[in-house]
Amino acid sequence: MAGKFHLGWFLNFVADEWNGNWGDGGRDFTGEFYVEMARDLERARFDYVLIEDKLMVSTAYGGTMQHDLKHGVNPKHDPVPLAVLMANATTRLGVIPTMSTSFYPPFLLARLCSTVDHLSGGRFGWNVVTSGEDRSAQNFGLDKLYEHDERYARASEYLELVSRLWESWEPDAIVRDYETGTYADYTKVHTIDFEGKYFKSRGPLNTAPSPQYRPAIAQAGASPPGRELAAQHADTIVAPANGIEAMKAYRDDIHARMKANGRDPAHCKVLYIVAPVVGDTRQEALAKRERWFTSPRYIEYMLAEISSITEIDFAQFDLDQPLPEVWTNGERGALESFLSPGRDKTLRELVTGSGLSGNVQFCGTPQEVAEEMGAVMEQVGGDGFLITSPVMRLNRRYVTEITDGLVPALMKLGLTRSQYTTTMLRDHLREF
Amino acid sequence: MSDKRFHMGWFMNFTTNEWNVPFGNDGMPWNGKFYIEMAQAMERACFDYIMIEDTLMVSEAYGGNSEVYLKYATMAPKHDPAPLAAIMAAATSKMGVVATMSTTFYPPFMLARLCSTLDSIAEGRFGWNIVTSGEDGSAQNFGMDKLTEHDLRYDIADEYVDVVCKLWDSWEPDAVVRDRETNTYADFKKVHAINFKGKYFKSRGPLNTVRSPQGRPVFVQAGGSPRGRQFAAKTADSIIAVANGVAGMKAYRDDVRARAAAQGRDPDDIKVLFVVTPVLGETEKEAVERKLRADSDPDFIMQALASISSVTDIDFSQFDLDEPLPPLETNGERGSLDKFAQWGSGKTLRQLVLDAGGVSDSIELVGTPDQVAEQMGDAMEGVGGDGFLISAPYMRVSKQYITEICEGLIPALQRRGLVRSAYSSPHLRGTLREF
Repeated sequence: MAGKFHLGWFLNFVADEWNGNWGDGGRDFTGEFYVEMARDLERARFDYVLIEDKLMVSTAYGGTMQHDLKHGVNPKHDPVPLAVLMANATTRLGVIPTMSTSFYPPFLLARLCSTVDHLSGGRFGWNVVTSGEDRSAQNFGLDKLYEHDERYARASEYLELVSRLWESWEPDAIVRDYETGTYADYTKVHTIDFEGKYFKSRGPLNTAPSPQYRPAIAQAGASPPGRELAAQHADTIVAPANGIEAMKAYRDDIHARMKANGRDPAHCKVLYIVAPVVGDTRQEALAKRERWFTSPRYIEYMLAEISSITEIDFAQFDLDQPLPEVWTNGERGALESFLSPGRDKTLRELVTGSGLSGNVQFCGTPQEVAEEMGAVMEQVGGDGFLITSPVMRLNRRYVTEITDGLVPALMKLGLTRSQYTTTMLRDHLREF
Repeated sequence: MSDKRFHMGWFMNFTTNEWNVPFGNDGMPWNGKFYIEMAQAMERACFDYIMIEDTLMVSEAYGGNSEVYLKYATMAPKHDPAPLAAIMAAATSKMGVVATMSTTFYPPFMLARLCSTLDSIAEGRFGWNIVTSGEDGSAQNFGMDKLTEHDLRYDIADEYVDVVCKLWDSWEPDAVVRDRETNTYADFKKVHAINFKGKYFKSRGPLNTVRSPQGRPVFVQAGGSPRGRQFAAKTADSIIAVANGVAGMKAYRDDVRARAAAQGRDPDDIKVLFVVTPVLGETEKEAVERKLRADSDPDFIMQALASISSVTDIDFSQFDLDEPLPPLETNGERGSLDKFAQWGSGKTLRQLVLDAGGVSDSIELVGTPDQVAEQMGDAMEGVGGDGFLISAPYMRVSKQYITEICEGLIPALQRRGLVRSAYSSPHLRGTLREF
């Protein structure tokens, strides 16, 4: 019998479903839909919700913004204010927005993370990305993005710098000494005088040390430099579910890299992205899956999405032919995951087979899917799953099917937590 | 009868609340709950907005190290105001929420998107307090050796406002169509790249999120220097001002209004709010005694000098308290220095500190709620408008102070018909322009 595994949810701050059978959303961007969802996730005892982010409207598919905007890939709001609202509406759920090391000034980011960790009572995490698109770079005044491996070199120095800022206040620097009228002891607050190859900062941070001292770090390293960065810093990793062998190999590699960096492998939880489809009966679930994945809207949407994150124009390829060789300076892991079913597959098969949610398919009744998830975890060795909507478009019906159908089945099997025993995110992740 | 009403705001920051006074024993407001309750109390009192000030450094200006600043928690620790603005907005439904962000340190695209998101969350009640930052210490946290020169910072800020406005306008108001027939969420023909190439900034655009309820956030600004005033007159919906007495307030407001008119703006679109720090009591005697106690606090002079040192990067520990100040210049907050120094007055540093009252307030307000309300009404009549920003001594807030303002002073003002008793507009800009 496998031990417990962890659950997270992967989403972004875009329009909720507005043109399906079970959604009339996308009318406003106040965040209410997602705040309610955070409460659902807390009821289902998720470790965290992770909010993906991008900083551009893509023109990769077909050379215009048409498909990006038509399908609502954008508009996409800033994930940090949403994380704040979600934290404010919950008491245990971890909240992890995405921020890019290519665009955030390190001092601003360090302070923002510290602030939100306070506001959430130690439930804040930062999903570290380097950004993968020239279009984003152009919004920030650059002509093109830094080269892939250089982005990771910058990110590595960036993490060193912000870590130093978080540590610039000793944990007991705030003394609140009524006798001497001293709020904070200046001998426990230190400048960092950081001068690296890419960044420079004097410090100290100008705010109080946060409950977790440093936020939980999430990362999605797929390429070798990405994996190395994750192995050095991450408390949790977002990983594609490219089949049991690949999943196991990935986790083993991360563990080996962590040991080489002097870290305990138990201190980083690898969560695999999956998009379960559940129904009252297996047949219903299969039929639903078939309807979703073969819809022409879904195919066009998925091609726009994969074009956007790789900046490869997938509109140029024949849907019924295998793909030629493709290369990206953007999200290499996503591309690899997309191609993972095999080079002999046609583009249509790649899109309808798995999309971006890897090729571990969970489809059936809640009981069946829960058992399958347990079996996969037993073979992989851990550490859990990151649920995402199969069509990257959320409605309350799908959320409820997971939080009130699938997760209770997982709990009954003893596979996921049925109570929180800790209050801070890093402690949730280390509980088992 | 003409509408005598003026506007009210509160100038505060996400620092510690009172922790070492008889009715202030917390000092750990870091989870934000104290300030959320403050915002709710202010909304009950129908304030136009709460303004969260910000700076990005632990100062070492006074005495060359951080001792005094951290001992008194002056300006640090200080949390990021933007997340606090988000939860304040979520906890209220009518009042405006204004957060400070610096044009020197935020990348424009990031700021434009953050403001747009916050305005959506606040359903049209968000404001951006535009600052250029005034301390070399902040610049050094961001990898620069020193801050850009004062007037040049404003030239850069002009272009900055230009680029972020273009980003906010990159989505036409009706770009989101939600057309179920054609499965079209947003019409790409109504979303435009901005291809901005200025002297200081470059951005392709469009913004990657929807147009917010107000289109762009309300702009708040605090220009004291001539260059700062020019910037505020061109840009601001509301101005945070500190001036000496009714005459100084009137001169400031007239100047800003003239500058606005000269740039083709309707001066009534700018609400100048003057910073005041009322000291209230059950009786006039109690209030006066309270003010005296505060002014004779042994820590008072050092805190006041540390504050002015911080915003000017001038070490005031070097000057004799019983001599007048030598001529001084700053690349930091010029308006604050001029207000504090009262050039030409011949006053000693000690007198200047006592005049400043621990805060930069425009007129001294000491008395019962009714007396102070009367004084505020008189002052506004003399100045011509547009209202006041409350600031607690040292911006250090306690429940007691909040309650005295929101449950004592504001009702006294409301009884006189001097401030609003209800909101009529869902958006902050509408609230400011109501009268």
